Amino acid sequence: MARGYKYFEAIEKHAGLLAVLTAIMVSIGGLAEITPMFMEANKVQPAAGVLPYDALRLAGRDIYVREGCYLCHSQMIRALRFETQRYGHYSVASESVYDRPFQWGSKRTGPDLARVGGKYSDVWQRLHLQDPRKVVPDSNMPGYPWLEKTPLDAADIQARMRVLRMLGDPYVDADIAGAPAALAGKNELDALVAYLQGLGVKNEPAAAAAPAGDGGTP
Amino acid sequence: MSAFWSAWVMFLIVLNLGITLFLFLWGQRVEIPTRADGTSGHVWAHGVLREGVRRLPLWWVLLSASMFVAGFAYLALYPGFGRSRGLLGWTSHDELAAATQRNDAVLGDRMQRYSLYPIEELARDGGATRMGHVLFEDNCAACHGREATGNPLLGAPNLADNDWLYGGDGKAIMTSILDGRHGVMPPWASLGEDNVVSLANYVLSLSGAAHDDARAAQGKALFATCAACHGAEGKGNPALGAPNLTDNIWLYGGDLASVEESIRHGRGGVMPAWRARLGENDARVIAAWIYSLSHGNAGSGAPAAAR
Repeated sequence: MARGYKYFEAIEKHAGLLAVLTAIMVSIGGLAEITPMFMEANKVQPAAGVLPYDALRLAGRDIYVREGCYLCHSQMIRALRFETQRYGHYSVASESVYDRPFQWGSKRTGPDLARVGGKYSDVWQRLHLQDPRKVVPDSNMPGYPWLEKTPLDAADIQARMRVLRMLGDPYVDADIAGAPAALAGKNELDALVAYLQGLGVKNEPAAAAAPAGDGGTP
Repeated sequence: MSAFWSAWVMFLIVLNLGITLFLFLWGQRVEIPTRADGTSGHVWAHGVLREGVRRLPLWWVLLSASMFVAGFAYLALYPGFGRSRGLLGWTSHDELAAATQRNDAVLGDRMQRYSLYPIEELARDGGATRMGHVLFEDNCAACHGREATGNPLLGAPNLADNDWLYGGDGKAIMTSILDGRHGVMPPWASLGEDNVVSLANYVLSLSGAAHDDARAAQGKALFATCAACHGAEGKGNPALGAPNLTDNIWLYGGDLASVEESIRHGRGGVMPAWRARLGENDARVIAAWIYSLSHGNAGSGAPAAAR
């Protein structure tokens, strides 16, 4: 067996070769776990009732991302009893096909928001975003008082809708042309509340429609 | 996962485990050329440090071997080897269903017993009201507050004061929770600012609050408009959720400015429907706790479920 030692010695004595072989071994896990899901992501079809965001909710979604809401709020209900009991049906990939980037997240300083739509009234959402302490005295969420003072830019949202259409979201010309009318007189707070109030409202999968082992789980 | 990507994953697993298993087995048998002094001849720091050649410790070999055993067993039993579902047929969805079933079994008997009693009796059961209080804090406290004292910024009513917009029996509370409520006070700015102020003064006079008598007298004549919902005497109408204006309990604040605001711009308090989120069983224990707040008997008396 002594002759085998020369290969071992060759790797040990050549740092470049050692680095390349190490990189190959380390990348195998990623190639196996990430590549298939990445390549097949385009096969995930939207769940029934999941439509591209209308202009106002799309603007709200971008504000959600801009303000970093995902740093404290996830939008993924895991298939665990204590999660489904609190938040509703577990999330499935087909609910997020129009989320670019998705907002699943894994950090929960605040509660999961995947199905928060309709849980509170619009007035509650507005007060809560301006100053969370107005409705939840012991909340540690920051206030976002500037949202109400910032008008929306319709041309900007139209550009975003056109880009999303290039990426495959089924917007029609009328959707894009109608954006300025939909956003007229609205501010960022209106948009964010519209986005939040739509989360998970129309797309909760029926229990029977979620076959075991399907629905986007690898 | 398509057949191609399944094969891709299998190939990578075989490659990875194959290489590491080969290294594990071969590394222990390979003969390392050794000098007479038992070192490999590799030296550092001008010969101060020399590389000794020793067999791998047994504990390390056994630990590594057990890692391989665990890895192979995992791939055989659980999903992971390409499209293989594993010998156990485990899925996270089945596990969730089983966990939900176990939880339901634990709660089942209790909920079954609770369902036999009307809310008014359930409110005397300490177990039911404790459970209701916990669920209330999780779901309802965001608007009504932890102790259910309400929030005038939202028009979320105080649930502890035995003053009810839609009726305070168990059935009405259950309807409010399960199906929600939408209070509609239309805006009356069209009456003119002067009339709004007069009406507000009259409304305040109904509960004996501080007001301008002359203004109130003018407002009285205008109140016919309001009487359709609030009643001729301003005592409200639970069928519409129109509040009693004579009891000095205020949803949106009882100062002149707040009352004027309510008349001028109207109010639209929203209680969301909770049927889909809570279900009937959870709603019943919450209703029981709420009922107990204004009837002073939470947890006292014999538990309903024990009788």
